[in-house]
Amino acid sequence: MKFNSVEEVQVRLGDVNYIPSREIATVVFLADSTQKPVLIEGPAGVGKTELAKAIAKSQGRELIRMQCYEGLDEAKALYEWEYAKQLLYTQMVKEKINTVIQDSTSLAEAVDKIAEQEDAFFSDRFIQPRPLLKAIMSEKPVVLLIDEVDKSDPEFEAFLLELLSDFQVTIPEIGTRKAKSIPFVILTSNNYRDMSDALKRRCIHLYINYPSHQREKEIVKLKLPGIDDILLESLIQTIGKIRNLDLKKRPCISETLDWAKSLLVLNIDRITPEVLSDTLNMIVKYKSDTELVKKNLTKIVG
Amino acid sequence: MLDPILNFVTSCRASDLKISTSEVLDCMRHLTLIDPLDEPQFKTTLMTNFVKTRRDMARFDELYNLFFHEIRPEEKKGTGELVRRDIKDAVERMKKEAGESDLMNALMEFLGGNPAPLLEQMHELYTREEEKPKAFKIKNNMGQLASRLEIMLTLSKMKSKVMTITGEMYTDAESVTKAEVDAYFNRMLDRANDMLTGDPKPLNDSLIQTNSVEKRLNELGEVSFSSLTPEDIDHMRSIIDQLVRKLKDVASRRYSAKNRGVLDVKKTLRNSAKFQGVPIEIKYKNKALRKGRIITLCDISSSVWAASRFMLNILYALQDCFSKVRSFIFISKLAEVTEFFEKFEINEAIQKTLTEADIEYNVPTDYGETFRDFKKDYLHDLNTKTTVIIIGDGRSNYMNPQAEILGEMRDKCRRIIWLNPEPMHVWHTGDSEMFTYKSYCHEVRPCQNLNQLMDFVHELVL
Repeated sequence: MKFNSVEEVQVRLGDVNYIPSREIATVVFLADSTQKPVLIEGPAGVGKTELAKAIAKSQGRELIRMQCYEGLDEAKALYEWEYAKQLLYTQMVKEKINTVIQDSTSLAEAVDKIAEQEDAFFSDRFIQPRPLLKAIMSEKPVVLLIDEVDKSDPEFEAFLLELLSDFQVTIPEIGTRKAKSIPFVILTSNNYRDMSDALKRRCIHLYINYPSHQREKEIVKLKLPGIDDILLESLIQTIGKIRNLDLKKRPCISETLDWAKSLLVLNIDRITPEVLSDTLNMIVKYKSDTELVKKNLTKIVG
Repeated sequence: MLDPILNFVTSCRASDLKISTSEVLDCMRHLTLIDPLDEPQFKTTLMTNFVKTRRDMARFDELYNLFFHEIRPEEKKGTGELVRRDIKDAVERMKKEAGESDLMNALMEFLGGNPAPLLEQMHELYTREEEKPKAFKIKNNMGQLASRLEIMLTLSKMKSKVMTITGEMYTDAESVTKAEVDAYFNRMLDRANDMLTGDPKPLNDSLIQTNSVEKRLNELGEVSFSSLTPEDIDHMRSIIDQLVRKLKDVASRRYSAKNRGVLDVKKTLRNSAKFQGVPIEIKYKNKALRKGRIITLCDISSSVWAASRFMLNILYALQDCFSKVRSFIFISKLAEVTEFFEKFEINEAIQKTLTEADIEYNVPTDYGETFRDFKKDYLHDLNTKTTVIIIGDGRSNYMNPQAEILGEMRDKCRRIIWLNPEPMHVWHTGDSEMFTYKSYCHEVRPCQNLNQLMDFVHELVL
């Protein structure tokens, strides 16, 4: 079901437990209305993938996810021929081939007759659709999430261009397949490398940053309704101060949530330097970062 | 609606944001879907269409504020229309006296509400290439400073000019309209001055900064390159040899795993003919090796040479793992040394690099000049498979850093990694341009000792 206004996007995403900023809602609305792919950039863990899931949920669409990595090729992303099935069928219909060619008088005629049947082996029957083809061939519109597109190779990126601008793909053996329904396409990137201008031009761009103080509070409250307000306030402030340090990997929303959960499990109602030090491994992921936070414990919790 | 958007796009392009026509079309289509009077929605629509990378966001914000807020005279009830008309009159009068000067005309346009020509002038100023003085060898960035000074002087001249003109236009010195017009012109001229003095720098949140503290080797690994004794260096050589052998093994294992491709139906069927059509032997398509390409730019001025030597050592040994490694050294001019590395044994290669490469030793380091050289001769050689590694301290003796060329390189290659042999805490001191260059790199890391170097090579290959 399409979104009718920016406000509606905010409400409907809120209903499925995703609190979007006004900017995010505007971009989602525009992408939905004009069927443009969205390229989402931002640090890891700020809710890029989550947004795709929330859109799928709120629109009642299926989410088809494709994780990109170095060396990903068409066979894994688009389609593959089911060789085993093809070989099996060849064996099984061997007898049938004899009956097809039994009336032919010359070898050339027999070959022609077999050639007429050739399409049977390169047809939709033997195609194993992968995420991209699945998204295009789906009768109902879906949400297609192409995750971490920056990890893929430039060749694969070039291959995506046809899909993103015309919503069609070309399979050499059987021709072009046009989308039955236009999917809502979301690409995410952690900026491991810059995407080409051609790809960027086909997408509208959204940068999701760490959430504001207020939004992060709302998110935690939404996911953990039982949390005490005073604890929540000091938790968000502490995370904010940790983010300001020169860390290798800054804590993101999922880490805030993990930390909040563990504080609840441990029955802690006040954050002290000792509590932070004991539960630090929920927030930072590198040894050097742990050392840095420990050095600044009293500054952070004070 | 179309006109202001197109003017805005022109201004954006004048400050080097790349906006294509199809993006303008998309934006116009999007604007019909939202309420353009709701500013957050309006701004988001422009931003989502015109800015396609985080790095350009700060510049976009700046331009957006300038265009949609600052150069519009405030709408005040009653006087608004009058003020606008008077501003226009005053600008027309000044234009007549301005003459042919490009700068003057750009400033007039700016006062009249069109910032594009001035932005273009600023952009040209920031990216200007210094002319080489013929008579003496000392280089500088005086050209840039002189033009900046010229604009500043023109600005202050215009300030007094505006006062005279508004003085002539209004007989009543207490007029509210005059005060508003004066305030507008003053604000705009101050704004132009701010634009001139503040350097535009791209954001780069996703920059990877690595400063590994793990101690992996024995203590030798933590000793800075510059304080190694000759015995230490000998000892280190053997460690590097071991490391390189290990890395080669890992790399070849990775490739052999990658080599096993998908089933090759044609070959399998052809082969099955031997066995009455039963595909007993399954054949696989072999994939071609996909090897990365590396281009290294290595500063060999005295302050960093100790580290560069080790780096070159490793790169020399790693040539097997990469399809193409091109190595350059520089002080103020670039010289290619790939050939030495291909032909000679490592020690001889380094010796030849030092003695036979076309490098002038008695000049100050100049990164700007080096990048310019690179752009002229080798920029076309970069592609999306190339990793550019720059080894140097980024100390450019206060000469024009030409960081935008590094930006162009970034646009064309897979990643730029900067290894700095100085400790991180001195990067922003003195003539170090590290903070300027940092925003154009994908990754910066200090590389002062063997442990850090090993970390880097591990991550590069694996």
